[in-house]
Amino acid sequence: MGDIYNSEVWTEKYRPQVFEDMVGQEEILKRVKSLVDSMNIPHLLFAGPAGVGKSTLALIIVRRLFGASWRENYLELNASDERGIDVVRQKVKDFARTKALGDVPFKVIFLDEADALTREAQQALRRTMENYTSTCRFVMSCNYSSKILDPIQSRSVVFRFQLLDRKDIKKRIDLIAEREGLVISNDAFSALYEASEGDCRRVINLLQATASISPNVTPDLVNTIVSKAKPSDIKIVLDYALSGDFVNAKEKLLEIMLKESISGQDVIKAIQREIWNLPIDDGVKVALTEKTGEAEFRLVEGADEFIQLEALLAGFIRAGMGDVKEVKGEN
Amino acid sequence: MNLKNVPWCEKYRVYELEDIKGQDLAVDKIKVFLKSFPKKRAIVLHGPPGVGKTSLAYAVAGEMGAEILELNASDFRNKAKIGEIVGPASRQASLFGKGKIILIDEVDGISAMKDRGGLAELLGLLAKSAFPIIVTANDIWNKKFSLLRKKAELVQLKEIDSKVVLKILMDVCEKEDVVVTGEVLKGIAIRARGDIRAALNDLEVLSKMDSESLMQEVGDRDREKSVFDALKKVFQGSGIDEEMLRVYDGVNMPIDDLFLWVEENLAVAYKGEELCLALERLSLADVYRGRIRRQRHWRFMVYEYFLLGAGIANVKKYDRSGWVQYKKPSRILKIWLQNQRAAKKKSICVKYAKACHVSVKGAMKDFMLLRIILGGESVRKELDLSGDEIAYLDKV
Repeated sequence: MGDIYNSEVWTEKYRPQVFEDMVGQEEILKRVKSLVDSMNIPHLLFAGPAGVGKSTLALIIVRRLFGASWRENYLELNASDERGIDVVRQKVKDFARTKALGDVPFKVIFLDEADALTREAQQALRRTMENYTSTCRFVMSCNYSSKILDPIQSRSVVFRFQLLDRKDIKKRIDLIAEREGLVISNDAFSALYEASEGDCRRVINLLQATASISPNVTPDLVNTIVSKAKPSDIKIVLDYALSGDFVNAKEKLLEIMLKESISGQDVIKAIQREIWNLPIDDGVKVALTEKTGEAEFRLVEGADEFIQLEALLAGFIRAGMGDVKEVKGEN
Repeated sequence: MNLKNVPWCEKYRVYELEDIKGQDLAVDKIKVFLKSFPKKRAIVLHGPPGVGKTSLAYAVAGEMGAEILELNASDFRNKAKIGEIVGPASRQASLFGKGKIILIDEVDGISAMKDRGGLAELLGLLAKSAFPIIVTANDIWNKKFSLLRKKAELVQLKEIDSKVVLKILMDVCEKEDVVVTGEVLKGIAIRARGDIRAALNDLEVLSKMDSESLMQEVGDRDREKSVFDALKKVFQGSGIDEEMLRVYDGVNMPIDDLFLWVEENLAVAYKGEELCLALERLSLADVYRGRIRRQRHWRFMVYEYFLLGAGIANVKKYDRSGWVQYKKPSRILKIWLQNQRAAKKKSICVKYAKACHVSVKGAMKDFMLLRIILGGESVRKELDLSGDEIAYLDKV
């Protein structure tokens, strides 16, 4: 086992430091390890859902390559925060200008959430990758590789990360429980796992929040934390819409989105799940789900997320008026 | 110089580098460019109107002790004229001891078709100029500039933060000895959306009226009267005639703003089934807007405007009469206010994101959970949270 990183935040404290500590992704680990062992890596693109080890693997790679001087040879940028490609480029330039320290002839830039970059920014990134290829390697992460331009993909080796198995996450949680002196029942682990959808970071965050109340982690305690941490209920919005009150539905929706800093995509996800708990006929539920799918599509295609969500609310208003055929807006 | 009749946006144009607000990154880049000249011969400052592109060029020139030779798009129609200005200048490189910078302002004005020669001329100048060239442009991503993009260094100027605009407005108020309440100034600053020129124009108009109640009207200059007329036509008329098809022609407002106005008033004008149908059409109009933005397929604008006008009008069967109080868009303001309130949350998340390899956005989203994790003394110390931030965490 690698040493424990000195942090009070468990996602950091228990972030695997060496290949051997990582759980899941066996095939990827094998291939990446052999690349790193040759002390030369190509540009890498890690695609996969949140909390499965993309950033962790990037950190392991640079530690392995650069040893103790990894911090001097590594730059981490998050594309969803630094959306201006100019900022990215400037930072890349400043970083790449100086020679790598140590035996490895290049530095590594980790560009997290690269799919948040616009097309134009990606075009610019592609040039940047080429310009600095002798001094820099890019490791990029994204949720969907389809959102990354082909030219960038073709310049990188793409690895597709899988959702972690329950047993793999369990392994990590058991280790934390042992080190932190926690008692976690099987049911409590199930509750943690269910609430996290295979996102290991979220599991650990939930665990730390729960353990801050008691070292005896029970399902009830987990659920209390989950409901505390849950974004405000989107159901209120839907209830307003079903009752025909568009104005309040819209107000509430905007309020929730702003207060909780959630995106239109997140709202759609919550609505799609909530539909099945609504007191309406199955036929209407099906129609509403179809409409939700269409709204998600338009949200990707359109310019203003909020307008698309408002249009989706129209479907719920119609459902409230009891007209199934009308829900989808087919006249 | 008699400054009495000079518009404020010109009167208060800044010529000193230290007075340029909110564009530090760009300033640095220009300096680097000038130092490394002639590695690249031109730099393009691009960004929305009123963010200070021209001012920046003059300020940098001032600081370097260089003289500006200004050319604008129309000069390029005339080959002889360019030769006249730039030719000798280029050759007499060091005669005056004082350096020169060529400023080509508002290059968007060069049309790819009509001024084909003009663009070529510009590119030719780029290749051989003995002086650094600064070009300003609104939309550098336009196809016609592909060669220019390759040859020149690009610097994007961001929209000015509304807080910075507010500060500039307060400065001007003091110098002009005008008394305007903070709320009103804030309103102007927000509505300007990063355009300092627009903000100063608004302030100047406002200062010349005697009653503060007139502020309501100034908000979007003369745009509001026309938008109210258009909304009345769309929301109260039902037939699609020639006038309806061109209903937004007279509205002097970016289409993004138009969307906000229509969206805000949809529920004012319609109820029930009509509202649902209108929302559907608005949604489709927005889809075309997104496609135009991403694919630059401008023909989609036909459908965008049609759906936003005739499409939304046509959800009703008969004309409506009577006077309806249409509202100003409030969403942007609400977003701004929320961001002000959430400033502490954001600064906490910035610190967390840096320490834990996640995005600030991701941290904001998980904030409800993180605030529990960030409850302990030692973790707060580790992230170096300030007293204010800790107080915020304890409050929520």
